[in-house]
Amino acid sequence: MRDIADRLLDAAHAAGAAYADCRVVDRTTQSVTVKNGRVNNVSQFADQGSGIRVLVDGAWGFCGTQRADGAGLEEAARLAVRIARASARTSVARVRLAPVPAVTATYTTPVVVDPFTVPLDRKIDLLLAVDAGMDVPGVTTRIGSLGAVRHHQFFASSEGSRIEQTIIETGGGLDATATSASEVQTRSFPNSFGRQQLTAGWEAVEEMDLRGNATRIAEEAVALLSADACPAGTMTLILDATQAALQVHESCGHPTELDRVLGFEAAYAGTSFLMPDMLGRFRYGSDHVTITADATSARGLGTFGYDDEGVPAQRTLLVDRGLFSGYLTSRETASRFDAPSGGTVRAESWNRLPLIRMTNINLEPGTSSLEEMVATTEQGVYLETNRSWSIDDRRLNFQFGTQAGWEIRDGRRVRLVRNPLYSGSTPQFWNSCDAVAGAAEWRMYGVINCGKGQPGQIMHVGHGAAPCRFRNVAVRPA
Amino acid sequence: MSQLRAGEELLDIADQVVERVPAGSEAEVTVTQTTSALTRFANGGIHQNVADQALRLRLRLIRDGRCGVAEMRVAGDDVAAALVATAEAIRSHSPNGEQVPLYAPDGGADTSAGYSAATEAVTPEQRADLAATVCAVAAARGQRAFGTSETGVTAVAMVSTAGLRRSARHSTTELIAVSRSEDGSAYGARSAADAAQIDAGELAAEVTELCARNHDAQALEPGTYEVVLSPYAVAELLEYLGLVGLGALAVLEKRSFMRFGERLMSEAVTITDDVSRTELAPLPFDGEGASTLPVTIIDGGVCRAVVHDSVTAARTGVATTGHSFPQPNADGPLPRYLCLAPGDSDREAMVAACQRGLLVTRFWYVRPVHPLATIITGMTRDGTFLIDRGRVVRPVRDLRFTQSIVGALGEVRSVGAERLASRGYFGAALAPWLHLGAFTFTS
Repeated sequence: MRDIADRLLDAAHAAGAAYADCRVVDRTTQSVTVKNGRVNNVSQFADQGSGIRVLVDGAWGFCGTQRADGAGLEEAARLAVRIARASARTSVARVRLAPVPAVTATYTTPVVVDPFTVPLDRKIDLLLAVDAGMDVPGVTTRIGSLGAVRHHQFFASSEGSRIEQTIIETGGGLDATATSASEVQTRSFPNSFGRQQLTAGWEAVEEMDLRGNATRIAEEAVALLSADACPAGTMTLILDATQAALQVHESCGHPTELDRVLGFEAAYAGTSFLMPDMLGRFRYGSDHVTITADATSARGLGTFGYDDEGVPAQRTLLVDRGLFSGYLTSRETASRFDAPSGGTVRAESWNRLPLIRMTNINLEPGTSSLEEMVATTEQGVYLETNRSWSIDDRRLNFQFGTQAGWEIRDGRRVRLVRNPLYSGSTPQFWNSCDAVAGAAEWRMYGVINCGKGQPGQIMHVGHGAAPCRFRNVAVRPA
Repeated sequence: MSQLRAGEELLDIADQVVERVPAGSEAEVTVTQTTSALTRFANGGIHQNVADQALRLRLRLIRDGRCGVAEMRVAGDDVAAALVATAEAIRSHSPNGEQVPLYAPDGGADTSAGYSAATEAVTPEQRADLAATVCAVAAARGQRAFGTSETGVTAVAMVSTAGLRRSARHSTTELIAVSRSEDGSAYGARSAADAAQIDAGELAAEVTELCARNHDAQALEPGTYEVVLSPYAVAELLEYLGLVGLGALAVLEKRSFMRFGERLMSEAVTITDDVSRTELAPLPFDGEGASTLPVTIIDGGVCRAVVHDSVTAARTGVATTGHSFPQPNADGPLPRYLCLAPGDSDREAMVAACQRGLLVTRFWYVRPVHPLATIITGMTRDGTFLIDRGRVVRPVRDLRFTQSIVGALGEVRSVGAERLASRGYFGAALAPWLHLGAFTFTS
């Protein structure tokens, strides 16, 4: 890896690059899926290549190559420089990079059991047992899946950094779907979108207790077919930690990406309502709301030693007791404000340009509990597990649906309700937050389908969250 | 970037894998080479500019009732052997059971009608020139341009022990332009297989003119309105209709709205999946090597058919239509080249016929809410205008809609005669302007 990196940097320098960095990547992904009692798919994907990013005349060029031979690497570096020169013909402002010390470092995800050492038949046996647990009358489709990722990367820059990292991810999950003539109801565990995933070893799967939750989840899917529709009106809303995590992702994580604020994503992912003159002044949420970007959080999918610009992992306050306090930044975007980079730049793979991506965007724990929130709610709903999500391009107008809901009356959950939706506007919503559960109910969740950038990149990001409560929210059935 | 390898060369690579599989094995090898380049511009200048090339090999190996799948995007002389070793290791640990059979050759032709050498030859400088054209037109009107200029070529070869031996290539080019003023924005896009068909000046003129009219937007009360939808918005409706209900697995698992033989939409609605439309840059076969066939899905508002892979086809007792993802998979088939048949109207006639409604340029962040009822939600974006008594009277702020697609397509007032190709997440779509009688905006 080191030789490939040196060759790329040397070739970029020789071709005229004023700055260059590269990532040499060796990534292995394993996937096991069981559907309706049968092994649906067992597969492994090995992915190796390198990406070279250069600055020429103050403009960027990037090239990804699979080749590891000298001629191939030199061709890639020369093409990156040619692309940068083409960029420079129509660039608006010269790119400046916030300074970062050159380091030589290594980082490896701490794991108890490497997921790639767990025999496949043990993984399959687990999923077959989970599948059997979900096989209750009324369930028409049962899916269980396990995933593992080993991402080995060597980063080098023309400023002298040499950083080797190995990130290991492990995940698992189950879905049970029940159908009737007019309804399709799916329940998932521990989270929707296929599975819950962490930077951790096989121990993360064992802690999930997929087997112990399979029957309960399947029975809930069936019960939802005949459940009453979610009540409509303006009411108190309590979110479980998984939905709170996605709410943070969409309405805080994305709008605090500084590249969006600067218009880099205006033609695609969108911009942001959080403008720089609002920093330190804008009341994003209530006093109960503190949100951090923390790449040092244990087990998050945004946990690493250094980002893909060689900037150390760090913790940044985005919202401090309700006050808008910070952005997710890169070296390029931070330099516009003469600030150091927040270290949030990552690329999906060797052939993609590193971009500002969420690390672990965490809703910090409060002092309440789910039990207390329900007990002190006169009328409202408690919603669990995302089913539908949509938000506008400035990240204000949102509508979420969840898989299940429970109506609350006089401090008790009184009935299961189906097809709940809630909607709102981001700052009004977070300002209506009057309780967040404490550390005992705070969990780290993984989102494995965060899309951004062109060409599109799917990133794995983390969110620590706990159940939380909001007043006067518009709720209705789908 | 090196020139894309010829089909024969990719077939040779696949042969090298097949030659290495253990005796008595069934094997299916897919070799995919992609070359892509994308120039991205924002605030009137290029800010990101990338290119990459990759060769990906996939092996599905079956023996003794066990299946293993391995994929590699790795360079080197020993890739074929490594791929076989990985697939064999997975296969040996997999349980014995019924496997998805390899697809037997169907005699389909390996056309590369969706390929253009001109697209493959586009240089970084030419992509930058397209971006510069859009930026200059916007700047001349006091606006800032954002967007992408993208080209790509994909070549695919498949070989199997069942006698499959096919290869094809296609090319894609897309120019996306967003123009922004102090308080408004507009969107436009052109895509084609052939880069020579993209007219940056014409697109920039369209987008900057729309942006100039999208000024001082006022809020509008949510409610149910008539809508005149641009082809960009219609393409989005088609894609989500396909996602929630036009694949055979959705029907088999009772997740689809389709009721064959019943009229669920207006007579003006005919939806096909048409692999013969070269502007959609089609590939002639699917992820298991089956020839992709044209399918009439909705005919005059009546549900006729869904798309199949070999698995759903076998379960249903019909032939596959060639819409498979690589097997085995849990997702089932999906349409890739959805087309809404043209009518005889146009945007101006639709606006003139609209009593009170909204002219929508583009939908954004569309997601299913209730798939069985085809209810989706999303936002309008980059140009939404109020129509009153046959005239576009003013821009309005973006609105959220929550609406059944089938319900909306049951209220068709008129369909445009001209259609525009748009790229989507799973494929591409060919869509006209559409005037709908009722569309519900919820916030």
